[in-house]
Parts: sequence; structure tokens; C-alpha cells
Amino acid sequence: MSIMQYNGGSVIAMVGKDCVAIASDLRLGNQALGISSNFQKIFSVTDRIYLGLPGLATDVTTLRELFRYRVNMYTIKEEREIQPETFAHLVSSTLYEHRFGPYFIEPVMAGLSKTPSGSFKPFIAATDLIGCLNFAKDFVVAGTASEKLYGVAEGLWESDLEPEDLFETISQTMLNAVDRDAYSGWGVVVHVITKDKVVTRTLKGRMD
Amino acid sequence: METSFALTGNGYVIVAADTTAARSIVKMKIDEDKIKTLSSHLLMAHSGEPGDTIQFAEYVERNIRLFQIRNNYALRPSAAASWIRRSLAQSLRSRHPYAVNLLLGGYDTAEDQPHLYWIDYLGTSTEVPFGAHGYGSYFALSLLDRYHDPNATLEEGLATLRRCVDEVSKRLVVSPGKYKVKVVDKDGTREIEF
Amino acid sequence: MPDMVSIGQPQQRQFNPYSENGGTILAIAGANFSVIAGDTRQSEGYNIQTRYAPKVFRLTDKAVLAVNGFAADGSMFVKKVKQRLEWYRHAHAKDMPLRAIARLIQTMLYSRRFFPYYVYNILGGIEEDGSGAVYSFDPVGSYERESCRAAGAAQSLVQPFLDNQIYFKNQRPPPGTSNPTHLPLHEVLSLVIDSFTSATERHIEVGDGLEIFVVLAKGSTTQGLENFANVQEMTQTREGERMFNIRRNLKRD
Repeated sequence: MSIMQYNGGSVIAMVGKDCVAIASDLRLGNQALGISSNFQKIFSVTDRIYLGLPGLATDVTTLRELFRYRVNMYTIKEEREIQPETFAHLVSSTLYEHRFGPYFIEPVMAGLSKTPSGSFKPFIAATDLIGCLNFAKDFVVAGTASEKLYGVAEGLWESDLEPEDLFETISQTMLNAVDRDAYSGWGVVVHVITKDKVVTRTLKGRMD
Repeated sequence: METSFALTGNGYVIVAADTTAARSIVKMKIDEDKIKTLSSHLLMAHSGEPGDTIQFAEYVERNIRLFQIRNNYALRPSAAASWIRRSLAQSLRSRHPYAVNLLLGGYDTAEDQPHLYWIDYLGTSTEVPFGAHGYGSYFALSLLDRYHDPNATLEEGLATLRRCVDEVSKRLVVSPGKYKVKVVDKDGTREIEF
Repeated sequence: MPDMVSIGQPQQRQFNPYSENGGTILAIAGANFSVIAGDTRQSEGYNIQTRYAPKVFRLTDKAVLAVNGFAADGSMFVKKVKQRLEWYRHAHAKDMPLRAIARLIQTMLYSRRFFPYYVYNILGGIEEDGSGAVYSFDPVGSYERESCRAAGAAQSLVQPFLDNQIYFKNQRPPPGTSNPTHLPLHEVLSLVIDSFTSATERHIEVGDGLEIFVVLAKGSTTQGLENFANVQEMTQTREGERMFNIRRNLKRD
């Protein structure tokens, strides 16, 4: 059994009309044994960037702390908030530092980036465990249910969804994908990021 | 086989661990205390590779004490859990990692709340209402799913623990004989005759 | 210098009689119809062997069998099922009922329990009571009647989508209403096409062509089937169930 599947867990991010959404399950397991049904894998980086870290649970915490430190240093040195594109490259280079002894995490990011005109542009990205970036226009997935997430998202997602419709789409995608994955599930959390607020909802899912 | 349980209740955390020290098929000792009192309001049950467990537990104990001496206040449970987790996570990617699993129970005197952390040798840490390590976890977790009540009194909590211990005794082939049970609440830590 | 013959080194050789040829199949049952579909790409590893290798076969006027897995086993298995059905016709002067075909397939698969046909079967058609039915099998004959099933390379992509869209999983109906138990034919066909379009997009072993079989129960209307392009009627006997075939191309980018 691969290290990537040891604790289980999945994350997905989607683009909407002037909004993005990111969702994850809440399970923490040891192979087939469930340990916790409230293990958060998504963390806020700034008010407009969220980062999902599916993979080996010890590295979820380690990387969360490492990125918090590096983003804080960036903010202090640059005297401004980090932008999603910059953050994606920070994630990528941080993971690549450990090219031959990697953190077993496949990060997924979602955020809104500021354009020169002052408006906001949706941004999502994902990387593999050594930091190979994937900037997608529609959705990105990672974790033990990634195949299922690809299938459902490919069927449900459409372009320019309003925040409420995007929430419904990402929620249905996540719920139905994790129900077919033994290593993911035990509840779902969804964040919908719009220019002036982030709506976080915890969904009731199957507990088996 | 080594087993440890812990559960939270109304204003307390109960931590229980078996007291056998085994080597291969031989019981070397039957009164081993595997629950360390790290500070006035912090308990830590440790299990895993013999030698590593005691070495790591004492390392944690001395560092938590050092923090207290230097700063004149004790680490809160969440802070202690973070520090211990990081120690294990760093150890994991070292030449000789510690193979130690922990249950960290504490009472946060600042916010008057009990906290329990489930931590494994990889440095996986999560706050849980109840947790277990070892073969006993396969029996205890399902019982705790059914009977755990976060608002239970200490007596009710101990009754739930009794169910777990009894089930493990009944169903586990190599069940441990005796358990040491410790409680932490607003008044500090104490051992309970079980 | 010629190679020296080395002695004492044990060598092991093995012949692997199986291969995996990709592709995906899918079947959905309606109230009085059944839809059975499969893509037509056949591959081995990264090599595409052919862009048109049917995986869905007409057995009788009311039964269709889709096979997926090891193509050689698949075609041999279909051949043997067809042979048994012909023997049945000669003996009884009628077509074998669907549920009997399902049981036949089970015994045929289980008879090879220790050298199995490496194929996942999905049988679709019309039951004797006129209801649409889907039976799905594992390679050694475990089977179950369902109203929807995907199998093959993109099973994990398609099945959760179908759970959501056919079984309405994780969807609560508006108060005072209930989710439909069966969908109309045109909606089922749209879902089948969407499923294969999605699978083609994300799975390298799925693509090229899509072949859809539609079986309509005795006396039912065509239910909007005539609005689809490339529909071909395949019914062989009159006044019974009717069978249609739809062929489409799958996205090429």
C-alpha cells in the first residue's frame, strides 16, 4: 500500500464566475481504520487564497506550518499580501526542494488574484508531490478519490457558475466521489471564495 | 499486546494504558507505568518500540519542564501537542526515527476545557473526543463511537472505559491484564484505582 | 569469443495468458427500455490496436451483452453464449428469457472458476414482464440485477456520476415530491453520451467511437429515439421487442 493512500483523503477546487471553490473530505484514517472525522485538510493562506493538502497526514500539518511561516516571511519582507500565482510557485519550489525525499502531499490551491484594474480573477492550481504545477481553467483534483472526482466533475462542471451554483456543483461532485472511495469521506467541508467574502459550509455525508 | 485508550468528558480527560512490558512472548513486567505526567494539567500515554517510548517520553517531559522553568508558565495542551508532533515529524525523517505512539490528554486552565490529542509515530496529530492505540483500538473505537458522551460525568466516563477494557479482555487473543488509569481535570492530574 | 554456457543458474519462464484491452461499457435500465453502450477503442498499454472493436453485442431481440476486459476472452465468451442461445432456440422454438440468460452466463463464467474469462459482463434487455433490466457480472459469475452499471477502464470515473444522476444519490427531492425511479429514454441517452464524453476527456483508454444499443419493450413507442442521429433498427423478428443501434464519434482532441 502506497504512502499516498495511508491516511486517505481528497481535495477538489473549481472555478466559477468571479469566484472559486475548494472542498475536501474530513476523514483521517490509518489504512482501513478510521481515526478522526474532523481532520481539516484545507487551510487559509490569505483572505483570498485557500490551500488543500491531501496526502500523508503528518506532512499535512508539517507543510501547513511551513507555508504559514514562508507566507508570513513574504508578507513582512514585501510589505504586501502574496498573490495566488506567486503562492503557487512558492508551493512548487518548496516541494521541489525535497525532490529526492519528498513530502507525500499533492497540494491544491484556489484563490482570487488582483488584476491591475483592481478587480479579481479566479485562480486554481495543483501540483504533484514534487511540485510540478498544473494551472487548470476548470477544476483540479487530488487525493485517494481523484479518479472519481475527475469523472463526476467532468460531468457536472460548467463554465461561469454563480457562487451558489458553484457550491452545489462542487458539493455534489465531492459527496458522490467520496461515497465510492473507502479512504475518503466521513463528512465534507466546502469553501466558496468571492471577492468580498468566503462562505464555509460543513456538509453531512455518509459515515460509512 | 500494548493497548491504550483515552476519552474526554465533562471537564476531564481519562487516559488509560495497559501495564505489561513484554519482550517476544515473555511478560517482563506487569506494573509498568506508561502514562507520564508532563505538567500539572497534562498526561501522555506512550506506546511503541520499547526503549524509544521511554527515551522519547522523558525527552518530552524534560523539555516541557524546561519551558515551564524558563517562562514561568506551562504550555497549554494544544501548544504541547504541536511541539511533540513536530519532534516526532522531525524524528521521522532522521537516521533513526522514534517509533512512539501517543495519547496526549490535558486540561486547558485558560479556557477551562479538556483536550485530547491522538498522535502517532509519523507525527500525525489530531484532536479527538476519544482515541486509542494498539490492537485494542480495533475493539474500543467502535464501542466509543456508540457510548462516548462528551458531557458525561467522570463516573459515566469510567463506565465507558470499563466497557472498552472488558471487551478487549474478552475478544483480544493476547489481551493485557491490568491497566493504569489517570485523569486530568481542573484540579490537575491523578491516578484512579480501576 | 562465444558465450560460455553458464551452469547452475536457475531460470524461470512464465507465459501470461491474459492481457487488458481498456475501454469502458455502461448500461442503464428504464421502465420499459434498456440502454447498453460501450466505446470502440481497443488498446494494449499505450498502443491502440484498433479504433473500431465492438464490445456490445446483440444476443436476441431483447437481450444485449457488453463485454470488457481481455478482448480475446470477450469475443470467445460472446461466441459461446450465442451458441448456447441458438441451441436453446432449436430445442424450445423461442428466445431465452433475459433472466435465464443471466443465470446461463453465471454458470458459464463459474465453470471456468480456476482459469476465468478475464471479462466483466453487463447484460441489458427486456425482462418477460416488459421491464427494462441490467445484469452485471464479475469475471467468475457473481451477478446482480441493477438499474445502472459501468465497468471497465473508466468505471471509477463514470459510476459515481451515475450514482448521482440515475440513483439521485446525495440529492434530496423538494418537499412533497420524490425522486423518479426511472428516467425517460432521451434523458438516459444524454447521460450515456455525457458519461462517455467525460471518460474520453480524462481517460486515455476510452475514445474513438461510441456504440449504443437501445432495446424497447413490446408495444412501446420509440420515445423520441427518432430524433437522434445515426439510429439504425436491428430488430429481426416482428411483433416483439425492438432493438436499435446508435453510432457516434467521441471527441478527438
